[in-house]
Amino acid sequence: MTESRFSQDPDDRHQADARLLDRVAAGDRAAFAELYDRFSRPLYATALRILSDAAEAQDVVHDAFIAVWEKARTFETNRGTAFSWVLTLTRNRAIDRLRSRRRRAELLADSAPSDLGLDENTSGPSADDSATANDRASAVRAAVATLPEDQQRALELAFFSGLTQEEISTRLRTPLGTVKARIRRGLLKLREQLAARL
Amino acid sequence: MNAERHEELAALAALDLLSPLERAEFDAAVTVEPSLAALAAALRSSAAELAHIAPAAEPPATLRARLLETIAAAPSSARPSAKIIAFPTWIALATAACFALTAAWLGQAYVSERTATATLRDEQTIAALSLRAAQNQVEAERLIHRGELADAATKAAESSRVLATLESRLAAASLLASDSSRQLDASREQIASARRELTVRDERVADLSRRLSTQGKLADYKIATLASLLDNSPQALAVAVWNPAGQEGVLTVRKLPALAADKDYQLWVVDPQYPIPVDGGVFRVDPATGEARFDFRPDRPVKTVAKFAVSLERKGGVPKAEGPMVLIGP
Repeated sequence: MTESRFSQDPDDRHQADARLLDRVAAGDRAAFAELYDRFSRPLYATALRILSDAAEAQDVVHDAFIAVWEKARTFETNRGTAFSWVLTLTRNRAIDRLRSRRRRAELLADSAPSDLGLDENTSGPSADDSATANDRASAVRAAVATLPEDQQRALELAFFSGLTQEEISTRLRTPLGTVKARIRRGLLKLREQLAARL
Repeated sequence: MNAERHEELAALAALDLLSPLERAEFDAAVTVEPSLAALAAALRSSAAELAHIAPAAEPPATLRARLLETIAAAPSSARPSAKIIAFPTWIALATAACFALTAAWLGQAYVSERTATATLRDEQTIAALSLRAAQNQVEAERLIHRGELADAATKAAESSRVLATLESRLAAASLLASDSSRQLDASREQIASARRELTVRDERVADLSRRLSTQGKLADYKIATLASLLDNSPQALAVAVWNPAGQEGVLTVRKLPALAADKDYQLWVVDPQYPIPVDGGVFRVDPATGEARFDFRPDRPVKTVAKFAVSLERKGGVPKAEGPMVLIGP
């Protein structure tokens, strides 16, 4: 039976993720399918948020999971959680695609604050979203909501927009040093808040 | 390098935002302070949770099926495990027979293979020595590169300081610009206020001009004094002021005798263009003082006023004077 990723203690969850990845590294296709079931929803949502294109988001998630299958043995637990490793594979691919688009400028211009991810009304959860996944998302949103607005904005752009530091600085019309400080403070506080909530 | 800078580098690394220079600075810092790598890993894990704030979306079931199909056809990175193949019993017997036949050949082969193995072992030893030499070379180069990396980190720190100075200057310039902007706004407000005051004054000037114009028209007014024709009230007096432009006037009378109930005084305006005086309306006086103030407007247009006259008529007035004249002038 598939183990729900969100109904566990965080440390147990991360360890279970890492064990699954070990099994994938050993060529266990069932473990791969289970890992997909645990990770695919947030990974797909992230890719879709970055690319605003369902077909491209599917391609990115597909490529990322193929990379997981091929490179699972290179995962090192001391460099972050299994989820963050797989997310990095996904996000990097999505951002590479975003940057290679010829119509990038238009897409960035279309990015309004309301669709940066905090506005839950922009896209409601699908009917079969599990309640536990919603709890998880709610907890992360609540943690993000505790950050000052300028830090939220800086983190959202850093995570979803594919912009460089300088581009974020230009977008926010804020000095580069201030942007870096906001990212530092925001991420440190987010880490603290997540530890308290998850 | 201070702790805040370390945290900043770790946070930027967690979000894959390091510039090449910062990447070198970060790598150099990690060699000095390994806990920095752990911090970056922890922040990377925290940043990964931001995936949950993306609007929820469900990947299609076809994607899962496509993936599983793909990996079913593709080899994994894992070393393939050995497979156990079941042999039928007769094959085992045949193999035993073959084994007996080939045992002698294998004995001979063993001797020659042993020689070959020794040769291979020697080659392996030589290869191991070569490997050790190569490792030493790599280690030496790594030490050299570490020094270069430290230099790069120093340069990066210097660049950061310069950048911080520039940013502070930029902030100061922004403040100055903001101050100038505020002054400009204040000046604009003062101009707007002055304009509003100017508008008020213009309106006052216009009003005064209108009044002046009205006063200028006073020169056209006709003022006439009407004298008494009554024997019993010789001191009766009236003053008529006539505005030809407005075709209206005011008659003020004093010391006229009180009227009987069936009588009225009636004002007449004598204009040469008409054969008979123009009716100016009827009025009564205060019985106690004999005074009245009467605003009148003739019932026909008056071009030139030759005289004003007041007659005593029956109540309500008449179209043509019938009663005695009591006042006339000038």
